[in-house]
Amino acid sequence: MQLIVNMLVLSSIYALISCGYVLIYRVSRVMNLAQGELMMLGAYLLLTTASLFHGNPEMAIIAAVVLSTTCGVLVYVLLMRKMTGESVLAAVLATIALGILLRGLMVLIWSAQQQYPGQPLGLNSTAIALPGGARISTFAAALVIVNALTYAALFGFLRFGRWGLRMRAAGQNPLLAAQRGINLHAIYALTWALSTMTGAMAGMLIALDSGLTSNLAVLGLKAFPAALVGGLDSLLGTLIGSLIVAAAEILSIQYVDPLLSDVMPFLVLLAMLIVRPWGLFGTREELDRV
Amino acid sequence: MYDAPSPANRYSSAGMLQASGRSDQRRRSLSAALLALGLIIFPFVGSPFALDLASQVFLASIGSLSLMLLTGFAGQISIGHAGLIAAGAYVVGIMSREWQAPFWLTLPSAAIAGALLGAAFGVPSLRLRGLYLAVSTLALYFIVIYAGGEYEAWRGYATGIMIDSPKVAGMEISSGFAWYFILLAAAVMTLVLCINLLRSRTGRAWGAIRTRETVAEALGINIAKFKLWAFVISSAITAVAGALFAYDRNFVSAEAFSLYLSIQYVAMIIIGGMGSLPGAILGATFVTLFPYAIESAIGMLPDADRYVNALYAMNYAAFGLVTIAFLLFEPRGLIGIWRRLQGHISLRRRKAKPLSGPPQ
Amino acid sequence: MLRLLLTVALVVAFVRSASAAEDTYVVGMTAGLTGPTASTFAPVAEAMRIYFDRVNAAGGINGKPVKSIILDDQAEPQKAAANVKQLLTWNNAILLIDSSLSSTFAPVIGEARRADVPLLFIGSVCPKEVYPPADRGQYCTTAFASNFDSRATLTFIKGTSQDPAQIGFAGATIPVSRAEIDFAEKLATDMGMTAVDKELVPPTTADFTPFATKLVAAKPTWVYAWAAWVIQVQLFQAMRRLGWDGNFIGWAHQEAEDELKRLKDPHLYVIGANALFQEHLPIQKQIEDAAAEASSRYPADQMSEGWIGSMMIEAALQQAGWPANAAKVEESLQNLKVDMKGMRAAPMEWTRANHFRVHQSYRVYNWDAAKGEIVTAKEGLDYEIK
Repeated sequence: MQLIVNMLVLSSIYALISCGYVLIYRVSRVMNLAQGELMMLGAYLLLTTASLFHGNPEMAIIAAVVLSTTCGVLVYVLLMRKMTGESVLAAVLATIALGILLRGLMVLIWSAQQQYPGQPLGLNSTAIALPGGARISTFAAALVIVNALTYAALFGFLRFGRWGLRMRAAGQNPLLAAQRGINLHAIYALTWALSTMTGAMAGMLIALDSGLTSNLAVLGLKAFPAALVGGLDSLLGTLIGSLIVAAAEILSIQYVDPLLSDVMPFLVLLAMLIVRPWGLFGTREELDRV
Repeated sequence: MYDAPSPANRYSSAGMLQASGRSDQRRRSLSAALLALGLIIFPFVGSPFALDLASQVFLASIGSLSLMLLTGFAGQISIGHAGLIAAGAYVVGIMSREWQAPFWLTLPSAAIAGALLGAAFGVPSLRLRGLYLAVSTLALYFIVIYAGGEYEAWRGYATGIMIDSPKVAGMEISSGFAWYFILLAAAVMTLVLCINLLRSRTGRAWGAIRTRETVAEALGINIAKFKLWAFVISSAITAVAGALFAYDRNFVSAEAFSLYLSIQYVAMIIIGGMGSLPGAILGATFVTLFPYAIESAIGMLPDADRYVNALYAMNYAAFGLVTIAFLLFEPRGLIGIWRRLQGHISLRRRKAKPLSGPPQ
Repeated sequence: MLRLLLTVALVVAFVRSASAAEDTYVVGMTAGLTGPTASTFAPVAEAMRIYFDRVNAAGGINGKPVKSIILDDQAEPQKAAANVKQLLTWNNAILLIDSSLSSTFAPVIGEARRADVPLLFIGSVCPKEVYPPADRGQYCTTAFASNFDSRATLTFIKGTSQDPAQIGFAGATIPVSRAEIDFAEKLATDMGMTAVDKELVPPTTADFTPFATKLVAAKPTWVYAWAAWVIQVQLFQAMRRLGWDGNFIGWAHQEAEDELKRLKDPHLYVIGANALFQEHLPIQKQIEDAAAEASSRYPADQMSEGWIGSMMIEAALQQAGWPANAAKVEESLQNLKVDMKGMRAAPMEWTRANHFRVHQSYRVYNWDAAKGEIVTAKEGLDYEIK
């Protein structure tokens, strides 16, 4: 039972980070390889707001979320917007460079020491007992719930919301969407905002649960296979992909070899690329014959 | 700007025409000869530190040239370059420790290993258009590092695999002096190989694919095959760079190859200028020397000692900033700046003076 | 024409000779100041910087100032080798220090050997060449010692535990940690205790719960972890969250003191060779004052390693006299005994054959809920290194 709980938590981590990948890819065909760093930024911002709003966790978290979302918009306005005319290659390279820049800035501003954002807020990660003798920590549970809510909200938004529809349109055919009067820049800015917000929430919850090190961003890369396995432009796919990758990882720790757990997401990814490269639910791409 | 081939590209026929002026050619060969002379004299006059730095630049050039082939000319992104370097280094480490294999066996083996990895990771992803290769290379990186770490643990190398310097006729090559020339030769060979590749049919196919894939296909070019070919060749060259890396440092360890190394190579080709071989070398020079430049710059600030702890972070931040700046403002990279400067100067000389007859 | 000019300019730029020998003792350090190992090594470098600033302010050693050059290698072997090359050829250092990940050791040792300059390890894993019979040219002040750490820990566990202990072992997949835990597992069985489980965690793990799950399922009464602090503490917290309430003992890294105060768990023990600042030793007050004066970014209680290393360097340079060169420093190091003023239980002593130390003594600390402070659970676990 504990295994299932662990799988649920890990998959929620991957899913929450990956929905950022999916949103941006679906709307603009860009792989945002700076998602890990943006997620870490959210956690560090929480550290700052935590010391500002000492003992007031709600305000601190809300402030951190708002700040992160603003950062996401800024990233688009200051950098990615200028890349819109260029090839996708250039845009992806820009996100890679952005990731480096953010990492450097974060260590400069907050130092490389291990930090605990939960401390100034008086938030401690305790355990909740579950049926079947399993236990889950409060923040891990929060992660699972937040993840579920986020996906539900995103599904609803993309399907029924006015701007959600516009986002989908922009993703399918930007030229037509623009001619239809949809403000593409606003859409892209919105996408980046949403993507950074969800990533930041993931980062914050992880940091509250187990502390914040300057290496948190590597999690962004490990979450990437989850998005790919499910299909880089499908939210549902990502959710299921996260479950698969997380399950593979945890089962390999338990029954095979704990050392394999680091590479497991990428092995799954590789298998997927060979068998069904566009993921479980992604749009089918044309295959060239080698 | 990444889609259109620049008219000044020396490897297009238009570029060739541009270079055909007799005095131009003479000037070019003269400066090339002087550059060669400078490179050869340099180790005799430079300090050992500068010598090592130059060797590092040559080694980096090999990697950046191979990445330039893949990304700058064939248009495929790879972020697993460090994985291929690691693979080459591990081949050397394993072969020299297990079987005492000499360098003339390990270097080709590294190339073969690189080619195999390129094929293995290229086939699944290159069948697709888009960024799937980037993803595949990321997997390549993590898997190679994991495998290397497992080997080290299995064999009990707590701090990495120590490698002896290569022996030629019984003599060990380990001095900085010798390595300078070895790496210089390797870099030159790589450059020549790349130039030849680009002049061949393969090179032209890559150019076509990079410009417009659909049109290339319409012209009858087998996209997937040439993309795979690019990746396989590039991987082989990179693995050899990794092998040289292992011999140079006498040491291989999983921790030596971080993802940041991959990103540094990507930055080299961005900063150098996409689609340009000299650009790859310029980019390699820039990225290798950059941290030292930052260190000197910070050293000149008052109370420099306090910043030493933040140096890495500053490096990172400055590095990211510079790469972004090049992407935004100078997409043609350093080579673009160079050509512009060249243009300014040569135009000035060629400006027609109406009363003094035809331009020289 | 332009190309020609540029080539000439480049050549001229590189022909600048190395900086002339100055009237100072030059000590060079390559440290993992940034990158994943930053929290371990940055305080060491900071401590050394502050220490020698004070020494210079007080007139230097033998009347000459000490120039300590600290270079960041980001825990990367290539960069460490480049740093050492620079320190040797550009700065003419007569003593080298490596405070970085063990993967940097091989290239750095090679360079130091070629230049015949002594190499001191502060805060980083002590390579086996410093243990007797010691290799000329390598020295180590770092507190932890392979095999002796586990011996002391297991002795403590055996002595403290009422019933025969069921021990779970945890380490990182880094070879050094792995080797130590493997040794400890075997030793435990030899000492008559039961090893119930052993977990090795990859350093990049995000969530320690799966590993903790396996450990908890084996029902250990004691868990011994020997790895980076982050791994030790994360594993401990994950196990607590799963409802395990046994005893956990880990190595006392620099962060240990602050973390004991944060976690306030009486069943969390740390074992180490350095005195915690809880002991309120006069020299620790000195360190605190110096750190405050220098407005250091790192807490004083993480500077023990760096301070101890710097004390040894100062003593060595003092003994070497002036003018000093690498050979004289080497001679001095091979015959050195320095009183640690309580920071270590025994004086640090190096001989020709032993570059680790002659005596190694451990103390165990934990949090006392009743007193509301850290207390010594055991001291006097002494070993003579032969």
